[in-house]
Amino acid sequence: MSASLPDETIDPNAPVANMDYFMALEFKETICPVVQRYTDGLLAGKIIGHRCSQCGLVYVPPRGYCPIDVLETTEEDEVELADRGIVTNYTVVTPVQYYGQEATEPFAKVSVLLDEPGGMLSLQDVLEVPVEQVRIGMRLEAVWVPESDRTVEEIGNRSWGSADGCILGWRATGEPDVPPDQFNDRVF
Amino acid sequence: MADIAIIGYSQSPSWREAELTEPQFLFPVISEAIDHAKIERREIGFTCAGSCDYLSGQTFAFVMNLEAVGAWPPISESHVEMDGAWALYEAWVRLQAGDIDTALVFGSGKSSPGNLSEIYPLQLDPYTLTPLGVDPASMAALQARALIDAGLVTEREMAQVVARNRRDAMNNPRAQVSGDFDEDALLAEPYLTAPLRKHDLPPISDGACAVILATADKARAVCERPVWIRGIDHRIEVHQPGMRDLTVSSSTQIAGKNAGVGNAPVDVAELCVSFSHEESVLRRALGLAENVKVNPSGGPLSANPLMAVGISRFAEAARQIAEQGAHRAIAHASSGQALQQNMVAVLEGD
Ligand SMILES: [Zn+2]
Repeated sequence: MSASLPDETIDPNAPVANMDYFMALEFKETICPVVQRYTDGLLAGKIIGHRCSQCGLVYVPPRGYCPIDVLETTEEDEVELADRGIVTNYTVVTPVQYYGQEATEPFAKVSVLLDEPGGMLSLQDVLEVPVEQVRIGMRLEAVWVPESDRTVEEIGNRSWGSADGCILGWRATGEPDVPPDQFNDRVF
Repeated sequence: MADIAIIGYSQSPSWREAELTEPQFLFPVISEAIDHAKIERREIGFTCAGSCDYLSGQTFAFVMNLEAVGAWPPISESHVEMDGAWALYEAWVRLQAGDIDTALVFGSGKSSPGNLSEIYPLQLDPYTLTPLGVDPASMAALQARALIDAGLVTEREMAQVVARNRRDAMNNPRAQVSGDFDEDALLAEPYLTAPLRKHDLPPISDGACAVILATADKARAVCERPVWIRGIDHRIEVHQPGMRDLTVSSSTQIAGKNAGVGNAPVDVAELCVSFSHEESVLRRALGLAENVKVNPSGGPLSANPLMAVGISRFAEAARQIAEQGAHRAIAHASSGQALQQNMVAVLEGD
């Protein structure tokens, strides 16, 4: 934590009207065992989830429980997931140049419902498709980072659906769109 | 006010650094509390949680914690950015309305990922105290110094509190710090922030605690030994510590009076003694007799899961009544700097 240096352009005799105080907090997080299995999988080119034995929902990354059934899930519930799926939901972000924003052009973040056995990856990047062509029902496939360049440093316990460092993004397969009534209730 | 009872409770161990995420370690604690109360999850009419997103540095971390509750179909729930003891208070108020009969309350915290001496100053006056980086140990040291200067506590008495708590914690499987320590050896340790030595400070702990509350009719129907909340009150002192007399705790005194502490003899008290000298302040403020056993669990000096340490005093006090034969117990929770805010409850068996 550090306070800012005095601003030399300010008259030291003027009444204090504002006070700058810049600070940062650092957090160091240990990856929990079920997410560790997920990141190990990504490094090996596999997307690993947990399928609830009661309701059949697939959680990716695995959480170690199904919150719907309040049921613990373990390695026995692990399933390897498809790296292809459909867009069920998307947002086009028009970047505002706030501090730290690196993007300058509008970009899309999509939710990808993976093919059987299922699972949902949210906030994914779409590659090689103009944002105005991103649409619900569009079929996508993962573009993996070459194995030797993969990293999971950006993935934490809280990175829902993130495959940053291992999956570059998703590109259109060119297959016909899937009608929305085939994935009702699977928006997020 | 209608009598509300504690009919179930559960606590996780206190870990220096939990391997699991907060929702993951909350998960079994909540299930065990529900099992302990011998009720079904769907019988719960209101859920209230206490936690602090600053501890783990995760925005909306408290929402993730709900995954451990079972929130589908949708439930009625609330959250306080405070210790779970304040969630318990909210649920106690909610149950007074009489339209529901059962509530789940819990507190949880994972403080290990961050640096508490940097996080805590953020709750202080942002102009004069936060930039100074006044952390809890510094604030506690000022209070301890004021007490010593006033002749109200000695460093030896503080070491005795530590030794006693650590000895008592040997019987508490959830404790993080326990053992047989000689008070002379403790006094021979160097100061960390004079007049405090490292053992005068609480450990840094990750952990959780859940409690089930019920109205009188419900408690009688499902629970063999309900623990009745006969009185509960919380009071807050001025935010600027320089405006307080740190040798007394007027908020504890008022809360204790309103909760009815002095109306009958007390067998045992679970007090939020996070720093060893605080026991003397709280004992005086509550007017506890010499023979009142304080913190048989080992207290916060042995297990200090932030945001769960206050509600754990309720669980431990209830345990004394339901399992150890005590009749009348005090549960106390604290928040803010140097005992700024205090909650006092009187618990009784039948
Ligand atoms: Zn399920």
